[in-house]
Amino acid sequence: MQINTVGPGCLAGQLPNLNRCGTVTHDEGDRNCYNTIKRIACYEISLDKLMSCLYIHIPFCLQKCAYCSFVSFGGREELFGRYVATLCREAEQTAARAAHTPLSTLFFGGGTPSLLPAASISKIIDCCHDLLGFTSGIEISLEANPGTIDYAKLAELRRAGVNRLSIGVQSFDDHELHRLGRAHNGEQALTTVRHARKAGFDNLSLDLMSGLPGQSADAWRRNLEQALALNPEHLSCYQLTIEEDTPFGRLQNQGLLELPHEDAIVAMDEITHTLCPAAGLERYEISNFARPGQECRHNLNYWHNRPYLALGAGAVSYDTKRRQRRLSDPQRYCELMESGDSIVIDEENLGTEASFRETIIMGLRLIQGVSINELQHRFHLNPGSYYGETLDRLISRNLLIIEQDRLRLTPHGLTFANRVMAELV
Amino acid sequence: MKEIRNFSIIAHIDHGKSTLADRMIQLCGEISDREFKNQLLDSMDIERERGITIKSQTICLPYKARNGKVYSLNLVDTPGHVDFSYEVSRALSSCEGALLLIDAAQGIEAQTLANLYLAMENDLDIIPVINKIDLPSAEPERVALQIEDDLGMDPETIQLCSAKTGQGVEDILEAIVNFLPAPVGDPNGELQALIFDANYDSFRGTIISCRIINGKIRAGDTIIFMSNNAEYRVEEVGLFKFRREAQKELSAGQVGYILAGVKTVSDTRPGDTITLKDQPCAEALPGFKEVQQVVFSSIYPITTDDYAGLATALEKLQLNDAALIFQKDSSAALGFGFRCGFLGLLHLEVIQERLEREFDIPLILTVPSVKYNFFLNDGTELIVDNPAYFPDPIKIQRVEEPYIKATILIPERYMGAIMTLCMERRGENTKYHYPMPGRIEFSCELPLAEVIYDFYDKLKSITQGYGSFDYELYDYRKSDLVKLDILVNGELVDALSQLVHRKNARSRGLHACEQLKKEIPRQMFKIAIQAAIGGTIVGRTTISALRKDVTAKCYGGDISRKRKLLEKQKAGKKRMKTVGNVEIPQKAFLSVLKSEQ
Repeated sequence: MQINTVGPGCLAGQLPNLNRCGTVTHDEGDRNCYNTIKRIACYEISLDKLMSCLYIHIPFCLQKCAYCSFVSFGGREELFGRYVATLCREAEQTAARAAHTPLSTLFFGGGTPSLLPAASISKIIDCCHDLLGFTSGIEISLEANPGTIDYAKLAELRRAGVNRLSIGVQSFDDHELHRLGRAHNGEQALTTVRHARKAGFDNLSLDLMSGLPGQSADAWRRNLEQALALNPEHLSCYQLTIEEDTPFGRLQNQGLLELPHEDAIVAMDEITHTLCPAAGLERYEISNFARPGQECRHNLNYWHNRPYLALGAGAVSYDTKRRQRRLSDPQRYCELMESGDSIVIDEENLGTEASFRETIIMGLRLIQGVSINELQHRFHLNPGSYYGETLDRLISRNLLIIEQDRLRLTPHGLTFANRVMAELV
Repeated sequence: MKEIRNFSIIAHIDHGKSTLADRMIQLCGEISDREFKNQLLDSMDIERERGITIKSQTICLPYKARNGKVYSLNLVDTPGHVDFSYEVSRALSSCEGALLLIDAAQGIEAQTLANLYLAMENDLDIIPVINKIDLPSAEPERVALQIEDDLGMDPETIQLCSAKTGQGVEDILEAIVNFLPAPVGDPNGELQALIFDANYDSFRGTIISCRIINGKIRAGDTIIFMSNNAEYRVEEVGLFKFRREAQKELSAGQVGYILAGVKTVSDTRPGDTITLKDQPCAEALPGFKEVQQVVFSSIYPITTDDYAGLATALEKLQLNDAALIFQKDSSAALGFGFRCGFLGLLHLEVIQERLEREFDIPLILTVPSVKYNFFLNDGTELIVDNPAYFPDPIKIQRVEEPYIKATILIPERYMGAIMTLCMERRGENTKYHYPMPGRIEFSCELPLAEVIYDFYDKLKSITQGYGSFDYELYDYRKSDLVKLDILVNGELVDALSQLVHRKNARSRGLHACEQLKKEIPRQMFKIAIQAAIGGTIVGRTTISALRKDVTAKCYGGDISRKRKLLEKQKAGKKRMKTVGNVEIPQKAFLSVLKSEQ
């Protein structure tokens, strides 16, 4: 296949259909660059080359939200310093052991990374830069929650090299926020966005949640309109998922959680799929919208099912063969790292076929779907012959479509993605 | 032979048979503590999960009695549920005695009586045992009185124990040695071995469980099965210790196993007699009473490729469960399968689960039916146990359905509720008396079709577990039947058809629609479920279309978990049968006559 080479650090090469490469300028690359002093030579990245992506988990929160099943713990401030030092230690280990090229993306996820002092984030970034290297256009994302971060901290983070901020807004309605157990209000979210702009963040993402208990379609529309009025470059709209072992999960088991009716949920989705494009945010993944060219490169890498490095408690890394999960407890993580013991508690090795299927499942989350050529190239398997009748049936039922080189979900298929994926997994 | 005792433990369900067996095994030192687990003789997962015994199991225990002699005790653990009384009667045929176990808190229950009668029919000597005397609610004196007055048994022989704590268990072993007779039989006579059970082992062939009545058998002997003259050379004989243990020979009075490389499953028939080819016995043993299947249902593999596998599986299962019968069947909706006869609904569920677990074949079972007699205008008589063969209604002169005589034992306060339940189920000729203070023995004639599904569950729930139930087939009576069909999105699903009494047809139809609505998951389109009699729709429900099924989030840390959820969804789909374009889950087929839980 044609190898798509593009400007510095731009990964739009993975989105050939969107043909947005031209819109990325060297200026933007420079602006996004981590640090002019430590900058390393820009180089071109091709599809065949491994892109290095690094995820860093910060498992600390002010408090645990009622729906959250992620690895995070309220309080534990006393552990911050030690944890940061341990992350750097793991970075050293990774640099020594794992195959990698300079990082193209770095993502601080949580938990609430914005709880850490800016100096800590800066230290981790420096450490990763020195040990693993950065490509010039590296995307450095950080998840921030309103109420945990002020202008000064934002400015400092921006100076430290963070160039993409993902703000966990969830809702602008104080009542809804309260029910979710969020530690902030709508006003604080607006302030955080304003401060972030002022601090120089020109790549902002907002997280919103729909389908909240007691939420009407109109209430969702107001939230969404408020978010769009802030002109974010990126927007994630997640339908609330009730997980076992969360306060919401327990309420649901007791029959005490009243979620919106399915009709209301569908109405909310329609609102989302109408208002976002109208505001210039295109849907590129099931729950994600972006201005063309400002898709989250770090997350695109997941959906392409390509390898990624990871540091921190609860974090998962993947090197195309093994997927490894680190233990969840941050203190134990520090202790084991310090004593030189293994922190991996779970390892998965998928065979070629399972990997192939997984890559299709993940790729179908993208609106543009998966490239058949790429699958062929990577796994020497073809979806058509591999799935045979099953694939034909899904296509004839208007759930899947093959257009040119791409297998993707139809709009109908997107609303029943799990049904389709359950046949292909 | 004087030092052999062959005995069963019989009891009402949940009175502690398997626990007592566990204690005896431990006491005789047949097993190390490390190997011990509860319900030791219940080897099937399904038995351990449900906490019940389905299969009889035999174990041979060496016991050094207080008189200094070492006895060989053959213990046969038996099931307690009414569906498995056939299994009990076969087990009893290999014994001279039985322990009749009675819960010290619950007292005598319906199955206590039923099993006692079985034991008496088999001329067994009986030792009554009052179990669970450690319970705070235990009333051993009251139960002892019941045993004396109601069962007419000698109070001197009553044993008290707590199988849970082990208290009194050794005394029971002594009583077995002292009160139960040793087997009789002539070790030097011609071989007569009664096959009472069998199991299939893919390496050794059929493992034949038998009781040697007369004569001896050893490896190298050439044996014949008397029912079909099949000839085999004995490879190994032995006893069922905790594991199979080979012996030089088995002789009269012993219970053990024979391995003879029997790979033809159908050669081994429980009830048959084995003898030696060179020195055959004059005649076969009487064998077992013909078992009567009362519930019929068709079994279909979900994937048609599994048909051949299902045929083999049924054959092997039949070896281990002689009460199962089957013959070929086919359905427009489900393809090729087998029509099977069962002893009751629990038996049916057990067979379904065993087929799935032991042979890994996902199955659909059609709506169970009883056996009806149709008398047609042209004088022919037709026996129908499958709604598919329901004759053209204009040709029917009359039809008869089977009735049972139910015996229900309940505390007095539930009388009203039980009476109502029986009336709802078209009960007739109710009678009752007070066999003991505060307890009522209630008897009633009921159509079998009305009890096969959930009568027992209903009874249990109405009486908060205190009611017990036993029944026997009674007679056939005139009935008025119609065929109730179910249409899913306009398509008739023959596997969901049932024969019902005209009076109940409409309510049964509505019920079936409601149950299916609960069991069939929503799909991407609307599903109409209709119940019809002849061409007339008598009930209807709609399952609204699912509007969305999407996982909102999936990132790097989550890929494995989300993939596994999809794999689970996929596995669930494999347990569904697609009829037209509607996916119907396995359990929907049995749900249509089950009552609301």
